[in-house]
Order: sequence, then structure tokens, then C-alpha cells
Amino acid sequence: MNFKILLVLVPLLVFQVSCQNGVKTVPASKELDSSEPKRKVKVSIEALIDNLTDSKNKEVIVVAHRGDWRNAPENSLQAIDNCIKMGVDMVEIDVRETRDGKLILMHDETIDRTTTGTGKVNDLTWDYLQTLQLRDGIGHETPHKIPTLTEALEQCKGKILVNLDKSYDIFGQCYQVIQNTGTANQVLIKGAIPYRQVKREFGQYLDKVHFMPIIRANNSNSQTVVDEYLEHLKPVAFEFTVPQDTFQIVEYFDDIRAKGSSVWVNSLWPHHNSGHDDEKAAIDPSVYDWFIENDVDIIQTDRPKLLLAYLRAHNLHN
Amino acid sequence: MKTALKYRILSIAILSVFNSIYSQDVSQSAKILEHLKNPSGDHILVVSHRGDWRYAPENSLQAVQRCIDLGVDIVELDFRLTKDGHLVAMHDETVNRTTNGTGKVSEFSLQEIKKLRLKNACGVRHSRQQVPTLEEVMKLVKGKVMVNLDKTESRWVREAYEVLKKTGTIDQAIFKGNDTFEVMKEKYGALMDSIIYMPKLWPKNKKVRAYREAYESTINPFYYETLFDSEKAETFAMIQDLRRDGDGFLAIALWDDLCAGRTDEVALLEGPEKAWGWLIEKGATGVMTDRPKELMEYLKSKALRNP
Repeated sequence: MNFKILLVLVPLLVFQVSCQNGVKTVPASKELDSSEPKRKVKVSIEALIDNLTDSKNKEVIVVAHRGDWRNAPENSLQAIDNCIKMGVDMVEIDVRETRDGKLILMHDETIDRTTTGTGKVNDLTWDYLQTLQLRDGIGHETPHKIPTLTEALEQCKGKILVNLDKSYDIFGQCYQVIQNTGTANQVLIKGAIPYRQVKREFGQYLDKVHFMPIIRANNSNSQTVVDEYLEHLKPVAFEFTVPQDTFQIVEYFDDIRAKGSSVWVNSLWPHHNSGHDDEKAAIDPSVYDWFIENDVDIIQTDRPKLLLAYLRAHNLHN
Repeated sequence: MKTALKYRILSIAILSVFNSIYSQDVSQSAKILEHLKNPSGDHILVVSHRGDWRYAPENSLQAVQRCIDLGVDIVELDFRLTKDGHLVAMHDETVNRTTNGTGKVSEFSLQEIKKLRLKNACGVRHSRQQVPTLEEVMKLVKGKVMVNLDKTESRWVREAYEVLKKTGTIDQAIFKGNDTFEVMKEKYGALMDSIIYMPKLWPKNKKVRAYREAYESTINPFYYETLFDSEKAETFAMIQDLRRDGDGFLAIALWDDLCAGRTDEVALLEGPEKAWGWLIEKGATGVMTDRPKELMEYLKSKALRNP
């Protein structure tokens, strides 16, 4: 037996093994697990409200669009509960009024896509609506029911901030429920209108509940609209739509925060954030850098889990 | 060094080399195929419905990739034929619900359908994913996971087979359907011997036992997709026959009337034992799910996933 053969074989073996190690990919499940929120720190609602009203700190507020719609029907109590458990700061839900004056959570004008029934919300009664089941993300029936705004706010009370979308036209009715559930300090109502208009239409509520103006960066007078709000209301935040980041208003974000209002930008769709959206971030999370570089401190997302992991890794979230 | 020792080291070295070459050659998908051929209650196969549609648009490459990353075995996808003869992944007859376009798949050319963009679940817009072809899917999964082809049954088996042959993935595709063996044989002849075919056992089929017998005595499938709206269903009683004959029982945990109410949703709301655990106890050797991540975690916790 020639020992030289061994000298050839052993390095060959080592090479084989190292090759194998080379192609062996990291167990994907581990990689996926590391993106899970590790800490289940219980954050008090007081801390969340403090963070919301402090526009100057580094903590970024994560807002989950329609609740956790990936894992529960959109706008369901389960979708809200999932957000609370995930450590999301604020849940965005859609409010509509039934024919008989009940406020319910529903995104579309009709109930066709998300429930087992059909018709327009404002043609239907609560008696009928509460017999229906919600559908999941691919349209299949689930055991979950349509929640009323009252049920939703009771669930959120003391646990998570709330943003009511589609709420402007029914501001008064929404405020009634907010008052009844004692959630005024943790709810945001919003609308894409100038200060004078909201003052005229709903001025009586402006010192009772947070109102957030929506500003479209491509409107030529957006700066004036912002300045008027800063002078008269100093809202807790502005929601900006930024189709391209060449708009001058983006450079003004740090000033706005210095003056006491937070800056909210959606990561949902490309035209909200000049192409720095959740879908891009799912492939490369550093896409979210754009928000931090531009002094955004509230982000509404369709990927709360991913965004939380990103922010925590950058020490921008508890 | 003593000669005897040299020999021992040499033999270990040679053995290791062979071992390492061998283990490199056995791909993940080949291991999955072995599990499919040898159904066992000790290793439960995970079939993810429409890809992981909670993470990415249903029937998209991103949803398939996510399944590969999660470590599931089989991705269930739907395929339909475009007007110029390409199989593309699409559940509905029209593109209306899942893309930003409108119209029937059969009225689009491949080039036209590629211009569309898929929507996320809940109709959430602005994913950048396109409608994938079967060829793109099979190239992506090659050597990794198996694919369960839905909607091709009794229509496009031949077209699908051509794509599988071209991409060298015949062993990675599981066809399925409701038609009797006679119908399938009539349509596809000897092709039925070349594909992996998983018949569906429907509770409403009055002749479901004869339906199975025809398959057993001919192509002798590895697996049956077994549906039962209640424990009284004939198909439910047939589970023990399947297991006695060494056939796999794929349970469908998606909706109430497919699994006597032992759904994914029940697993989440009332605990996995009430749903997935129950199905496995009744003999399931594979589970189709809308919750691949949670099901994988459950099975690992029960030591029902061999490495």
C-alpha cells in the first residue's frame, strides 16, 4: 500500500467536505426566525402616547395598515390583536357607517370582497351585517366577524394607538365612540384638507382628539398648508405623500419635527415614498434607510414584522 | 505509521469521499419524493396552498421561494393556458382578482399577461411580481421542492408534461384530479404511467370506492388527496384502507367541508392539537395548509419532521 495515495486522498476528502460546506446554505428557517420580534416587551400605552406626542426623539412609530391582514382578515379584531402581540405601535383601521348609523370596520364601500355578504355598507343594517363572516386574504370564509368601531376601540384601549381612516366625513360620530370608549388620547383622525376647513367643519373636536392633516408633496401650496397648521393647531403629526423625493417639502421634514409635529410617510406603495416601498424592502430591508435619512418618524407599513426587525436592528424601536 | 492503521485511514477516507459525493447527489426534492413514495405517520409532508400567499402574491415566484425558505415539501399552484399555449400560474379563470388587469387568462398572450403585475392578498396593490410560467416555476424549484399542479387536471396534462420534460423536472411534479381512471386513460393513454398522479377522493362521489379501486389496480398511486365534510363521510372511512395499503393520506386543512372542520384556523384559534394533531391521529401523512410556517413549527415540536 502506497502511503502517497493517502496523501492524495485525504486532501481530496477535505476538499469535498469543504465544497459541501460551501454550497450548504444557512438553514432558511433560522434566517427567517431571526427576523421575528425577539423581545415581547410590554410597552405601556402611556409610553406609546409620549412617543407619539414627542416629535424629537429617535423612536420610530410603526403603523400596521388594515391590521395584520396577512395573518387574519383585514380590519378584524384578530388582525388588531396580532399587531398588539407583535409589538406594533399603531393600527390603521377603516371606518364606515351602516344605514342605521352603526360605525363598523370596513375598507371598501361594499362588503363584497371581505365578507360573505354583498352590498354597500350604507345600504345595509347592523342586524344583517352581524350575521356575516369575514373572508381571508384570498377570499375564503373565516370564523371572524365584522367588528364595530366600539369593539375595536375597546380592544385597543390601553394597548395600541389607533388611526381611523375614512373617518373625516363622520368625524362627529367617530368622536362619540372615542369618547364613550375613553380612547381620545390614543386615537388619530385624519383628513386631506387645509386648516381653515377642518376648523370650520369640526373645530369643536380639535382640542379633544388628535387630528392629522394629510399633505400631498406634489401640491404646489403644500408648504403653506403645513405652515398654517403649525401656526394654529400644531398637529401631533403630518401624513405626507411623496411621489418623488425631489419635492422641496422633504427637506422641510426636520424643521417640522423641530417645531413639534411628527412626520408620517407610508412605506405601502412606491408613489408614497418615491419608490422606497415595502415590496422593495422585502427583497432588501436597507430600502427603509430612506425614511430614516429623510427624518420620517412614523411609518405605515404592509410588512410590520419586517419593519420592526429593521428598526430594532438600528436601535430605532424598543 | 503502521500499515494496518494506514489501511484503516484509507478505507475511512474512501468511504467518506463516496459518502460526500452521494449526499451531494441526493437533492432535497429527491428526498421529498422518497417521503411521497413511502408515506409515514412519523414524517408529515407539508403542502403549501398557492405558495405562501400571506407573504407574497398567491401563485408568484416570490411565494414559491418563500416556501423553499420555510422548508416545506410541496407547493400547490394553479396553472392555466394562455391563448398562445403557455401554462401560467393563475387560480381564477380571469386575472381580475389577483392582478392589476382584467379579462380571461385564455384571452391573453404570454407577452400580454407578463405586462400585468400581481396583487398581494386582500387585493393590496403594487407588488412587482409578474404572472409566472410553469417553466419559470419548475426552474426555480428544480432540485428543491415538489409542485402540486392544480387546474391542469383533464385539460392540460400534456402541455404541462412537455414543460416538465424540457426542464428535467418530471419527478418533481404531482398532477391531481377528480376524473375516473378510465377518463384519464382515454385522454392521456400511456402518459398516465409517466407522471406522478394523485387522485382526489371526494365525499360526494357515490362510487368513491370503485373510483379508487380503478386507480389501485392500474397506476397504483402513492397518495390520495382525501376530503371529508364530516366523520360520517365514506372517504373518512376509507382512510384506514389507504393506510393499510401503504398509501399516503393528504389532508386538506384549508376549509371546514374538506376536513370535517379541522382547519388551519382552528389550529390557530383553539390550538394545533384540535386540527393538525387530530388529522395526523386519524392517519394523515401529509397536510395541505394556508399556514405553512405555523404547521412546520408544530410538526418540528412533535418530532414529526425528520431532517
